[in-house]
Amino acid sequence: MFSFRSVVVLVAVLSLSACASDPKVSYGDATGVETTTTDFGSTDLQTIAATLVDDLLTFPPIVDLTTGNRPVVFVDKVKNKTVEHIDTESITDSIQTKLLKSGKFRFVDMSAVQAMQDQMQFQQDSGLVDPSKAAAFGKQTGAQFMLYGNMASIVKRNSDTKDVYYKFTLKLVNLESGLLEWTGEKEIRKTGEKQFFSL
Amino acid sequence: MLSVSRIKSLMAVFAATAVLAGCAVNETATVTVQPDGGRADMLESNSGFLAASLSIGDITVGSAGDLMRVQASLVNGSRSDLVFEYKFKWLDQDGFEIAIDGRPWTPMEITAYETKNVQGVAPNASAKSFRILVQD
Repeated sequence: MFSFRSVVVLVAVLSLSACASDPKVSYGDATGVETTTTDFGSTDLQTIAATLVDDLLTFPPIVDLTTGNRPVVFVDKVKNKTVEHIDTESITDSIQTKLLKSGKFRFVDMSAVQAMQDQMQFQQDSGLVDPSKAAAFGKQTGAQFMLYGNMASIVKRNSDTKDVYYKFTLKLVNLESGLLEWTGEKEIRKTGEKQFFSL
Repeated sequence: MLSVSRIKSLMAVFAATAVLAGCAVNETATVTVQPDGGRADMLESNSGFLAASLSIGDITVGSAGDLMRVQASLVNGSRSDLVFEYKFKWLDQDGFEIAIDGRPWTPMEITAYETKNVQGVAPNASAKSFRILVQD
């Protein structure tokens, strides 16, 4: 038989011992909804990438363009016009990966140009590589399209609530003609309310 | 004064509450497109508040080029607003999931007695069936 007081003491001791121990580490679902703060997060990044890729792949002129053809695309930077530090390259990387895996587009990677040039120079000049198997200069494919965009936000707050609105715009332009072939937008609204126990 | 049996029963209630409070996939619709163009739909529901209130209604399957494109209506049959998450999973003809982790759980809110449509596009042309998962 236990008294009610002894049970309360036991619960208090267990709670305090939990606070003193090492932090509990666990793995979670990387695609799960994350609402820790109103700042830009993984759910926003994944939602933007998935939505815009779906939009691009189902736009009728793009469906025609990619039927029996895999256009070559170059990904430019996305301008971050928000007040937050956001790694926009991570968003375009996700979009590029999804588009490449769709089998509808191919890409040239401008971030690897110097490394590729160094490797080709090595193959041509080191004398270590069989000349018949060395990658030749002047054979690379030029991009036909460029993917670029903007990211903007509007933040409003009062004493209790913070409202954040994000707008991500992505554009696909034909490099030769200069024509804008497709543009897609994804809007996200997040609202954070001050909790009673928050500091 | 609390007896041992009383404490055990309280602990059982706490444990059950903790399990129920966790997220669980409450509603799953599996749609398979047959080689002849026909469809086989299968709905699975688990017990829980969301499964009792939310149902997957009409499912439309189309294509964008050779990519499967789907639309599913989610129906709130209750008098309360529902906040939940949904996710598409895509499977090839052998049942292998394509682009695991390629689609995020997407948050959604449906007001009382409202129906909302959600759309998804297959990650590539090998997708032959899909699943829609809904969890609270």
